[in-house]
Amino acid sequence: MKNQILQAYKQAPWRIQLQWIGLFLLGLVLIASITGVYLSISAQAATSGRRIQYLESQISTINNEIAELTAELAAAKSVDSMQSRAQSLGFIPLNPHNAIYLEVPGYNPHADLVLAPPRVNIISESPTVLSSYRTSLWEWLVSNIWQTPTGDAPTEGVQ
Amino acid sequence: MNGKPPFYRRYVVVAVACVIFAVAALVQMVRINYTPFATDLIARSENYQGVRKTIYPPRGTIYDRKGNILATNQIGYEVGIDLKFVSDPESIAFAAATLFDGLDYPDVYALASTEKRADENRYFVLSSYVSKDKIQELEQLDANYTLRRQETKSLKPSLSGLVWYPMQQRTYPEGTLASNVLGFYNYFSRENAQGVFGVEEAYNRLLTGKPQTVFMPNDPYLVEALPDIEPGASLILTIDREIQKMLEDTLQAALDWSGGEGGTIIVADPKTGEILGMASTPFFDPNQYWKYQETFPGITPYNRAVGTAYEPGSVFKVITMAAALDSGVAEPTTTYNDASGVYWVANSWPIYNWNYGAWGVQDMTGCMQHSLNVCLAYVAIDLLGEELFYEYLQAFGFGRSTGIDLASEANFPLRLPDNNQWMEMDLATNSFGQGIAVTPIQMVTAISAIANDGRMMAPHVVRGVVDKGQQYNVTPQVINNPISAEAARAITEMLAYSLEEEASGALVNGYRVAGKTGTGQIPTELGYTSTQTNTSFVGWGPADDPQFVVYVWIEKPTISQWGSEVAAPVFRDVVEQLVKLMRIPPDNIRQQIAQD
Repeated sequence: MKNQILQAYKQAPWRIQLQWIGLFLLGLVLIASITGVYLSISAQAATSGRRIQYLESQISTINNEIAELTAELAAAKSVDSMQSRAQSLGFIPLNPHNAIYLEVPGYNPHADLVLAPPRVNIISESPTVLSSYRTSLWEWLVSNIWQTPTGDAPTEGVQ
Repeated sequence: MNGKPPFYRRYVVVAVACVIFAVAALVQMVRINYTPFATDLIARSENYQGVRKTIYPPRGTIYDRKGNILATNQIGYEVGIDLKFVSDPESIAFAAATLFDGLDYPDVYALASTEKRADENRYFVLSSYVSKDKIQELEQLDANYTLRRQETKSLKPSLSGLVWYPMQQRTYPEGTLASNVLGFYNYFSRENAQGVFGVEEAYNRLLTGKPQTVFMPNDPYLVEALPDIEPGASLILTIDREIQKMLEDTLQAALDWSGGEGGTIIVADPKTGEILGMASTPFFDPNQYWKYQETFPGITPYNRAVGTAYEPGSVFKVITMAAALDSGVAEPTTTYNDASGVYWVANSWPIYNWNYGAWGVQDMTGCMQHSLNVCLAYVAIDLLGEELFYEYLQAFGFGRSTGIDLASEANFPLRLPDNNQWMEMDLATNSFGQGIAVTPIQMVTAISAIANDGRMMAPHVVRGVVDKGQQYNVTPQVINNPISAEAARAITEMLAYSLEEEASGALVNGYRVAGKTGTGQIPTELGYTSTQTNTSFVGWGPADDPQFVVYVWIEKPTISQWGSEVAAPVFRDVVEQLVKLMRIPPDNIRQQIAQD
């Protein structure tokens, strides 16, 4: 039987050639595919890299513009500038004896200036991520399959 | 046929040659890594891989107590020559010399014509912190040159190689306002830049933030987002810019009128220790900090309010009298008979009144009202005694720094009885503010205790810090209770009454204030021989609920040598405007509102 098969191949050598050609083409396709994927990813990485550089440059430019505008605004609102503008608009300094004093409930002229939220030490007790996103498959199996569910359906985060 | 394919030997030779070459290459690669040149080669290779750059976070902003910006950053430009790209040195030299101050054509031309080397990048800084206007002019010139090249189809004129980069620089939009409190930031040398004087120095580390050195690769595959670099912390000061402006204007007017050599005015909130305004001469524009030496020649202090100790004169009697009342050795009605107008210390040294006159029988209120040196010497020596007197002085904070959050605070140590150089005469003169040196901020801190029912608050100029998106407010701190509330109220009443009885120039229409004048003689090498004086006034009000302490010091006035004639009217001018800015109604209206 074995001899018959060998005989058949020897009688058709093109089969061996075809087999090698097929293998070669398969390898070529594989290499081409890998190369294509590599080139594609590389091109995307390079594009992303350049994009990051561009965005960093944009951030820097915008920060500089913000700084420039803040400085210009501060100069425009400087006390000398405001005083001269007030005078040009016809305002005059207040005489306290001609002033009318009103008590405004709740108004505190000495209140602290707030430029940012105050420091908070309390750690929030309510989770910001739903438990279903924090539960591993194993924990889910343990709680829902092997142990009897404790009744109430989880309502966390559900409105 | 011997069973070997044709050209077998040749294949073997080629294969052996390839193997030998590969092994040799491998050996060479390993060898290179262990030669003395390896470090140099690695460093060179890094030059091609990218650049290592230090990123400086923007310096924190400084606000006044109402959120107005006192110090921030703006954009300046660094202009330089990148030799790699230079093609027309003449045009670069012409543009630089025309547009930028301090640059000469030959110097720039020489730099732009420097020989290029293939293996190194050469960059020369021409000018730093160039204004945006100048850069716009430069861009316009560059555009004109480009047009001309297109028209003439030539390579010249060209500014190729002349480059500019934006960089943040410190700016003080209010100019000279509060410069003595703010200090300045010497930004020209970026690596060594730091805050100098004031809060810029005291809070330099907070304001600066943390610079980070990052590697920026040329290879786009290796590029990553830069790390988030937090800007420096911002400061909210206790200073109110309207009050500060008013103080500086009033001080300048006072110096012009009195011929004074210099001066200081401080306004503080006695209940919190917050400094609402602090004016000090000479005024200075921190936007041009390099002119510091011109404005402050020699040993001129940057901020007299914290940096200069002087003999305050009679304003110090407030402290002596407060000690006497609190310790119980005297009451406002306690009398002293000034029969001769002289008090003999240890039967050897005479103490005279300011007018060398005798004032007869006076109670303690009269002693303060007429500012009698002999009476206060009597109180210090005969009633208080040296031990109690100096205990109170130390309780009021004299002899040590107040710890105010400003750089360069001066302090003059007290000469105490256990010091070999101390004499009983010191006790006498100290009682009326001579022979003792204090800073204005020490006086304000001590007097604040009297205006705040005996609680002495830590003086401070920073009200809050904003860092990493969170605000931290400063909590006022009690640093001592040198006297009781009863004693504090008693001396406030004595001094308010004294001003009213004297029809003092410090009185403010509609507001009852307490205060005391001071005329301090200025010691010379030969003693108190000079006719020049330091005139001062310390006052607080409204007397029934003090909301401000004002300290005025005019140095060496020429119009008069007396505090009552120079400093007291300045105090009145300040308070008249201060009550408007602080929204304090006149006493009758305020009391009526309180009753309702």
